[in-house]
Amino acid sequence: MDPQDTPNTNRRVLIVEDEHFISELYVRALTKAGYEVTTEVDGARGLALAQTDKFDIILLDLMVPTMTGIDVLHHLRGPGAPALRAKIVITTNLEQREETRDNIEKQADAYLVKAEITPRELVQFLGTIR
Amino acid sequence: MDNLQRFIHQVRHRIVAVLVVNNLLIFADWWVMEKLIGADPIRLLLSMVAISLLSLTFLPWLSARYLAQPTKLIWQAILHIAPDAANVPAPNLKKRTIGHDLVMNLVSHVYQLASVVETIEKTEANKQPDLQSDFVANSLPVPLLVLDKNQNVLFANRSTCEYLQRTAAEIIGQNVYSVLDMSFGTEETFDKWLVKSKQSSAVETKLWERVRLTVEGEDTQRQFDLAAYFNAENPQGFETMLVLFDRTAAYGRDDQGLGFIEMAVHELRTPVTLLRGYIDIFEEELDGKLDPELRGYLHKMNITAEGLTAFINNVLNVARVENDQLTLKLHEEQWSEIVKTVINDFGLRAKIQGITIEATIAKGLPTVGVDRVSIYEVLGNLLDNAIKYSGDSKKIIIRSALNKEGLIETTVQDYGAGIPTSIIGNLFDKYYRSHRSRAQVGGTGLGLYLSKAIIGAHGGRIWVNSHEGQGSTFGFTILPYAKLADEKKNGDNNDIIRGAHGWIKNHSLYSR
Repeated sequence: MDPQDTPNTNRRVLIVEDEHFISELYVRALTKAGYEVTTEVDGARGLALAQTDKFDIILLDLMVPTMTGIDVLHHLRGPGAPALRAKIVITTNLEQREETRDNIEKQADAYLVKAEITPRELVQFLGTIR
Repeated sequence: MDNLQRFIHQVRHRIVAVLVVNNLLIFADWWVMEKLIGADPIRLLLSMVAISLLSLTFLPWLSARYLAQPTKLIWQAILHIAPDAANVPAPNLKKRTIGHDLVMNLVSHVYQLASVVETIEKTEANKQPDLQSDFVANSLPVPLLVLDKNQNVLFANRSTCEYLQRTAAEIIGQNVYSVLDMSFGTEETFDKWLVKSKQSSAVETKLWERVRLTVEGEDTQRQFDLAAYFNAENPQGFETMLVLFDRTAAYGRDDQGLGFIEMAVHELRTPVTLLRGYIDIFEEELDGKLDPELRGYLHKMNITAEGLTAFINNVLNVARVENDQLTLKLHEEQWSEIVKTVINDFGLRAKIQGITIEATIAKGLPTVGVDRVSIYEVLGNLLDNAIKYSGDSKKIIIRSALNKEGLIETTVQDYGAGIPTSIIGNLFDKYYRSHRSRAQVGGTGLGLYLSKAIIGAHGGRIWVNSHEGQGSTFGFTILPYAKLADEKKNGDNNDIIRGAHGWIKNHSLYSR
């Protein structure tokens, strides 16, 4: 199918992920599904990009350099943060303690363990969180 | 001559004058009666007695009034300034008053003293309690702030200054929100709490955990627990007190997940994520292009990678069981839906081995109270075992029904080799696997141990029946949601939190 015909055309995704191979896989699957994808390995730069409010979805890893994903999330969704149109999906392989995870889930739109989903399942999931 | 001497002098003069007047009166009387009238001695004596009586009455009265004038004026002056005396007018000092200078002097001293007292009172009243010099507050090794009614900082102890890396002058008098750039993980932030407290309470206390604080010029945030005390009627105007317990190191470690197991899990999951990603691409791209044998291997590769994910979760969860971290959130769920989801997910794996899974779920089962993710793991573990141990048999049967005790009983039956009687008692122990199975199938021996912990935390029971050569049946019970209702009343949200010992769900939101 021509990507131009997919319902995801013009939907923009920001991937904040420092594991290059993983973001490569996600970029491939998302691009195939018609998304326009931007990648960033650095937490602080990822935050700056997210704050431009140009994205529909932000995939946010928690363990990224210079600023953790939790801090990025906090800046984006904490008290007083300006509203963003993007849905924020935490993609991590890190296990959180219950209370930390609860706090993250309150601020994020979804929480995924990367090892438990394939790239195609990720695409399928993102299709459900418009 | 000083004023007192002059006063004594004046008094002496007045007394002499009175005595002279008295004597003159008597003499005048004698002169009038004797010389002018020529009265007889009896009448003279009577008139002299009358004059004496008159002067004895009138002159002391007049002189007493006159001599007491200074005392009266000073008395007036003192009463005039006394706080609880009635309205006494200020003394009126005439030039003619006896001891004028002395009285003037004393009265001016009285007023001076009064103004000194007043000044002291005013100074005391206006003086802010000097907490800054207070030894206790300042030697407290935790940051402490006191706010007034306008949320301005009245006092910050030395620890606060060190913690915020600002001087006291930069903190005191400032609005608390400009001093502390705090963010909270919960809906009820400090400012919301304070607004609410001001509206509805006289006294209020609250504790927040994991409050984050941005300190100017620092990249990483501070993390602390915050205790706040609100007292609307504090006489000194100390409306709110804040105490910060720094936990940056501990919470930072939590956030980073730097426990060894968490770290190991993270490191293991990354390559698994990649393997599954690459397999996913091959399955997608080569679908229909591969011969059936190779496609079968590709499926098996996928299943193996999936199994590895489950294994990693098991390792993590066993660590949690050991660390007493079992917290399950029991929700109301339709049991048949959960069973169908698991069967659907394991169907492919069974099919590859030529096994069919049959399910018999009784109609009209009550809803159950389960932690969906955890109970999925239990059913998954049992089904996974059944597939592994089926041997040449090609059928697995799952049954769910209400038992005699009103619990939902679910069994997973296979027709494989069965389990020798000698080892059945140890089956739910950690790491236990029969010597025979070790050679033939993979696995960690953690699955049944975890399943038992999870079912136990649900309030149910897990067991096994097996006959060598005929297969095994694993069964467990869970409670209908209605039976958990009593427990629910005690909870403050919709979840029923169960904590026995150590199970934390893996947190995929993705419903498989």
